[in-house]
Amino acid sequence: MDKKQMNCVAPVPYLALALFLMLMVSPLSADRPVAAIKGGDLYTITSGIIRNGTILIKDGKISRIGQNIEVPKNARVIDARGKVVMPGLVAATAEVGVSGSANINKIADSLDPFDYNVSLALASGITTAFVSRGRPPGSDPIAGTNAVIKTTYGDLDNMLLREPVAENVSLSRSLWMRKTNFLQNLRKARDYLQKLDADKGAPDKAKRPQEIKKPSGVDAYIRLLRRQLPARLSGTTAADILGTLELVDEFGIRIIIEDAIEGWIVAEEIAKRNVSVIITPRQKRRPNEDISGPSGSTLENAAILKKAGVKFAVVPPDASFTTWGVAGRDLMALPMEAAFAVSGGLDEQTALEAITITAAEIIGVADRVGSLQVGKDADIIILDGHPFHHKTFVELTLINGKILYDKKKSIYFSHITPDD
Amino acid sequence: MLLCILSCGLSISVAADDITVIKADRVDTVTSGLIENGIIVIEDGRIKAIGNDVEIPETAGIIDAPDKTIFPGLVNPASRIGLSPPPSGGPASNPHYTVADELYPHQDAYKRILGAGFTTIGLVPGGNGAAGGFVSYGYRFGPSPPGTGITGQGLVVRPIGQKPEDMIMTESGFLMIGFQADDRTKKVIKDALESAKNKTSSTDPKVRPLVTALQGEMPTFIACGGPGAMLHLMKLLEPYDKMKLVLIAGSEKYRIASQLAEKKIPVILPAQIDFELFTRNRINPPKMLADAGVKIALRPKADSIAGHEDFLREIAELVKCGLDRDIAKKAITIRPAEILAVDYRLGSLEVGKDANLLMLSGDPLDVGTKIHMVMVEGKIVHKAP
Repeated sequence: MDKKQMNCVAPVPYLALALFLMLMVSPLSADRPVAAIKGGDLYTITSGIIRNGTILIKDGKISRIGQNIEVPKNARVIDARGKVVMPGLVAATAEVGVSGSANINKIADSLDPFDYNVSLALASGITTAFVSRGRPPGSDPIAGTNAVIKTTYGDLDNMLLREPVAENVSLSRSLWMRKTNFLQNLRKARDYLQKLDADKGAPDKAKRPQEIKKPSGVDAYIRLLRRQLPARLSGTTAADILGTLELVDEFGIRIIIEDAIEGWIVAEEIAKRNVSVIITPRQKRRPNEDISGPSGSTLENAAILKKAGVKFAVVPPDASFTTWGVAGRDLMALPMEAAFAVSGGLDEQTALEAITITAAEIIGVADRVGSLQVGKDADIIILDGHPFHHKTFVELTLINGKILYDKKKSIYFSHITPDD
Repeated sequence: MLLCILSCGLSISVAADDITVIKADRVDTVTSGLIENGIIVIEDGRIKAIGNDVEIPETAGIIDAPDKTIFPGLVNPASRIGLSPPPSGGPASNPHYTVADELYPHQDAYKRILGAGFTTIGLVPGGNGAAGGFVSYGYRFGPSPPGTGITGQGLVVRPIGQKPEDMIMTESGFLMIGFQADDRTKKVIKDALESAKNKTSSTDPKVRPLVTALQGEMPTFIACGGPGAMLHLMKLLEPYDKMKLVLIAGSEKYRIASQLAEKKIPVILPAQIDFELFTRNRINPPKMLADAGVKIALRPKADSIAGHEDFLREIAELVKCGLDRDIAKKAITIRPAEILAVDYRLGSLEVGKDANLLMLSGDPLDVGTKIHMVMVEGKIVHKAP
């Protein structure tokens, strides 16, 4: 099967016009910013596939997208005829771009734009990533910080997108104090907020019995209760997930569940509460013979979650990047992981969303990235085939309209040409 | 009058009134070109005259070296040679720590590196942020700081003498910052500098070095992790624009060459051909930085006796691989002297400067060249056997 033919290809319209425009286009100049990408199949993610489409870029943002768009004279144009053009991939969990020890309080202060993984992320088409730091042992259920970064190699100033985007929560059953502390702190924070509200509603301020004091150490819990940030925590088994969902029922907080291997068992329950999950479709877990209901992993996890209406992102088993070792298990093959979901019955569109727009929504940056839409950041990748084909390579990666990766110039990949 | 004949055949006669004249085939001044059949007149430890048409005082002792080359003594701007391995630790501000308090003069290491041609050393302080790369090979990422913050004051020393006072050349050396990119280290450094920012002088030993460094009267050496960490530090130190920053770097700092050139930050880096990260692609980082317009000084790739003894061969390798010969010679003499702010008295062969020089069998960057004699401030401190 030709990797370019995985989706049925519509006849290329306006070929003559395209050729005419090609002749008008001035030669590439490395110094000028890219102003247009022409002639590719645009996988917009949010509005279908535009065959032989054009993207115009202005000030690092997508300014126009569609067919028959006139390219400004003297603009720097990338010819993407025969290529797939799609938004940069979004890694909902990644080990990339942060230096220093685990015990840091602010990722912005430890960003490393020269991290080797940043260059590999670009080569893998990943332009946005969720990173997390600082999970000390102990009974504190909320610890450390997290952020969403862009993989702008060499460019520190444009690296940070948002920090923090969630509260790192850990309710490990082996450390039972964590769950106890979590619940108690949530209640403390809720009482405090209720008192504040009651005070606001009180008609006579003079009759206030005493100043309402904020309990110590509840700032993070207040952010959760006010739904300013979601709690991000792990829930592997159906029981873990159901236990987590109780928190939504009791406190109305937003939740993102990682490692939801048994999500398929409780998909309806997750959907009911509008909770997002992060899954690794190929992850294996044996059924537990000691429990009465269904258990264990299934390749159909993603398809079942989709049917129930659960929003999910896909990440590979290993959140790092390697050019060696067990190939295909890490972020260098993120689309492969989404393809596993397709083999389990998920439609291709939702699988693509799980590594672009849905991942961006879950990590809280869908207003900036995750699809090819006017007004979004020009974080765009150009592929030499369908994203789920095993022979497909990333040819170009752009962030904010700047070319940051070019396979032809890559030390690692320029010599690999599977179709030759 | 004393007359001695060296095994290599040159004759040295030293006059009683401390005037020495060296007559050599070639005198490489480094800063003012090469003098054929050069004559150097040395009085009271300093160069009194230099050239080919120089009057030789009658009372002078003559060192006649018709087949030799004279070259300035080598300067290693950043070393921990002869000092103990520094402790590691979290970020702290200890500007009052000084190398002066941790010197061990009676060490073979100093005799050996003197024999390797090093007449001046910038010693970085203990508890310092620079140690990782100094103890082991500092290539690729650069010295990774086991201790961070403001880690003390370094000193300029001669590798000779019986007492610390004999070794120490200048009262103030340089301030040392060990950096890694994290919020706590940034805070420690920022708080320390802010506390001294509005002072013009201080008698407090914990504040004075900061004031001097902030006013640019003493250089500030930086050791940090990768090039990304340096971008963080440059941003952090931006408000203190009088500071004279010097980066002690590993090879990978070539990735921020343009930023370093723009900020005019000189770089001390190991003399070695390296590999591009995780590849077998050979790179010449000193050449890459020099091409970008960065002022470079070179130090041995390993901060050991052997590293110092191999130094000139490593420099020759860099030149073979494209580093400009003149830049290379300056990067081991006058540039490190400038970085240490002692270029007014050493680093090249010029009238008025200390007579710190090497007598070589040939060009310093010829791998077959031997060091026959080392002179520090007019005194012969080493003779080849």
